[in-house]
Amino acid sequence: MDYYLLTVCIYVVVGIIACWGLNLQFGETGVLNFAAVLFVAVGAYTASLFSLGHPTPASYQQYFWGTSLPWPLPWLAAGVAGGALGLLVGLLVLRRLRGDYQAMVLLVVSTMGTYLVSADPGLLNGSIGLASIPAPFKSELHTGQVGYELFYLGLSVVTALIIFEALRRINASPLGRVLRAVRENEQAAEAVGHNVAATKLLVMVVGGAVAALAGAIEVQFIGAWAPAGWTYPETFGLFAAVIVGGRGNLGGVAVGAFLVQGLFLEGTVLLPDFGNPDVIGAVQWMSLATLILLFLWFRPQGVIPERQRKFREGQAGPLRGLLPAQAFARVGRGQQGA
Amino acid sequence: MNLVLPSLGFGIITASTLLPAAVGFTLQFSATGVLNIAFGAQMTFAAFIAYVCTQAGLSIWLAMAAAAVCGALASALLNRFLLTPFARRGTTFFGMVVVTIALALLVEYAVELIWGPLPVSYPLTAPGLVHVGPMSFTHSQLVVLAIGVVFAIGTHALLRYTRAGKAIRAVADNRDLARSSGISAQRITDLAWLVSGLMGGAAGVMLGISLSSVSYTMGDTFLLEIVAAAVLGGVGQVYGAMLGALVIGVLLQESAIVLGGAYAPISAFAVLILVLLIRPTGILAGAAKAKGVS
Repeated sequence: MDYYLLTVCIYVVVGIIACWGLNLQFGETGVLNFAAVLFVAVGAYTASLFSLGHPTPASYQQYFWGTSLPWPLPWLAAGVAGGALGLLVGLLVLRRLRGDYQAMVLLVVSTMGTYLVSADPGLLNGSIGLASIPAPFKSELHTGQVGYELFYLGLSVVTALIIFEALRRINASPLGRVLRAVRENEQAAEAVGHNVAATKLLVMVVGGAVAALAGAIEVQFIGAWAPAGWTYPETFGLFAAVIVGGRGNLGGVAVGAFLVQGLFLEGTVLLPDFGNPDVIGAVQWMSLATLILLFLWFRPQGVIPERQRKFREGQAGPLRGLLPAQAFARVGRGQQGA
Repeated sequence: MNLVLPSLGFGIITASTLLPAAVGFTLQFSATGVLNIAFGAQMTFAAFIAYVCTQAGLSIWLAMAAAAVCGALASALLNRFLLTPFARRGTTFFGMVVVTIALALLVEYAVELIWGPLPVSYPLTAPGLVHVGPMSFTHSQLVVLAIGVVFAIGTHALLRYTRAGKAIRAVADNRDLARSSGISAQRITDLAWLVSGLMGGAAGVMLGISLSSVSYTMGDTFLLEIVAAAVLGGVGQVYGAMLGALVIGVLLQESAIVLGGAYAPISAFAVLILVLLIRPTGILAGAAKAKGVS
C-alpha cells in the first residue's frame, strides 16, 4: 500500500511539472499546444538514450544511439531536447499559421511522432518501446524498494520546487506581463511593439523543456517507455488538469494535476476491485470527462483562479512600458466575457 | 511501380470515406466556430448503430441510412443541450474545444462499455470484383465511392441552390451581418450540426465498410486524417475539404505502396505541413477569417 501510494505521489509530481510546462504555453500565453504530450515523450526518450548505454547488436532492444551518463545529465539532456523540439515545432507552426490552424497542426504533429516511432523499430524499439532504463543511484543506495521510492520522490519534489520558483519569477517579471498581454489580445500586444511570434516561440521552448523534464523524471522511475503511452488523447488529460485547476495559476494547476493525474487517472487502482479492467478504464475516462464538464460549467476559472493583478497609479516599476498592453488586455477580457 | 495505379483505386475509396467526414467537420466549424474534437467519436457511435441495425436484419445500406439519421439527431441534440448552453455561459473558444474533448471521451468510452473493446464487423455480401483499367473494386467499395460522390454533389447543391445553404454560408461568413439580415443564427447553427452529424454518421459506416471492422477507437484514429484533409483545404472551406479529402486519401494509399503501410500517415501529414508552409491558410484559403481565436 505504501509502495503504491508513493508511486502515485511520484506520478502526481510528474503530472504537476508537465502541466506547469503546458500552463506557461496555454495558461499564460494562450498557445493551444495540442502536442503537449510529444514534449513529455521526447524528454522520456532522451533521458532513456542518455542512461541506457551504447546499443549492442546482442541486446533484445534496438535504438539508434545511446550513452550512459550519471544522474543529472540525462534530465538536463531531456530539457535541452524538449527546448529544441519547441524551437523546431514553433518555427514550423507558430510563425505563419492562424491560432486554430496552429492547434490542429500541433495535433497532427503529435500523432506523426507516435506513428514515426512505431513505424521504425530501429529508431527507438518501435511500438514495443524501450525498457530496463536505469534509475539514478539505485545501485549505489542500498535502501530497498520503498526507501528508494522515497528518495526518488524527494528528488522529483526538489526539481519541481526549482521549476516552480523559475516559473513564478517569469510570471512576476515584465516578461510575464508580455505573455498575458499576448494571451488577452494579440493585436494590441503587437501594436504596442511586442513581438508576438517571438514570445510564443519562447514559451514553446521553455514550456517544452519543462514538459520534457517531466518525461525524464517519469521514465527513469518506471523504467520503460512506449508509443502507446503518449498518444494524442493524453494531451487532453494535461489540458483537463490545467483547466480544472485554474489556468494561469501555478498553485491551481498543481491542484488540477493532483485531481486529474492522481485521483482520476492513477487513483482508481486504489478503489476496490469491481469488475474487469476494461470497465474500470472506461469508467475512469468517463468520470474524468464528466469532471471536466462540471468544472467548465460551474467553475470555468478553475479551483484556484488566476490572481487578479492590481497596480496602483504612480507605481512606476511594474507598469513601465506596459501600460497600453495592460489597458488593452483589460478591454479584451471585458469583451470576451469569461 | 506497377502497383501505383491499382492503389490509386484504394486511394479514391479512402477519399470517398474521408470526403463526407471532412466536409461535415469543416461545414460545422465554419458555421458555428466550434472545433469539434468529438467528431470522430460521433462517427464511431453511428458505426455501432449501423452494426446494431445489421444484427437486427437490416441490409448494410439501410443500416447506414439509419446510422446517418441517428448521427444527425445525436449531433443536433448535443448542440442544443450541451454546446449551446456552454456557449451562452460565455465559454471561450478554448473552453468549447475542451467541452468537445470531454464529449469525445464520454461517447468513446460509452461505446466501449456498451459494445465491448473488441472490434465487430458488418455482414457484407460476397465480394464480386469490378475492373476499371488497372484498378479493381468490390461492389461495396463502388457503393462507398458513389455515396462519396453523392455527398459532394449534395453539399454543392445545398450550399449553392437552397435558401438554407445560402444562410449557412452567410452565417459562416459574417454571423452578425447574417443575423441583421433576418437569418436566425440559432436555427442555422442547429442545421449545421444536423448536417455534420448526418455526414459524420454516414462516413463512420463507410469507414467500417472500408476497414471491414468497427472498433471503439476507430473514429479517434480517423479524426486526424479528417483534420488533415480539412486543414489542407483551408479550415472552413467546404470545397477545400473535398479537395483535401481527395489529396489525403490518395496520398495515404500511394505512400502505403511506395514507403510501406506504417509510413503512410506520416507522409500524408508531412505533405500537409509542407503545403501549410507555402500556403499558411490551406489550398483554398479565399477569405477565410479567424473564428474567435485570439
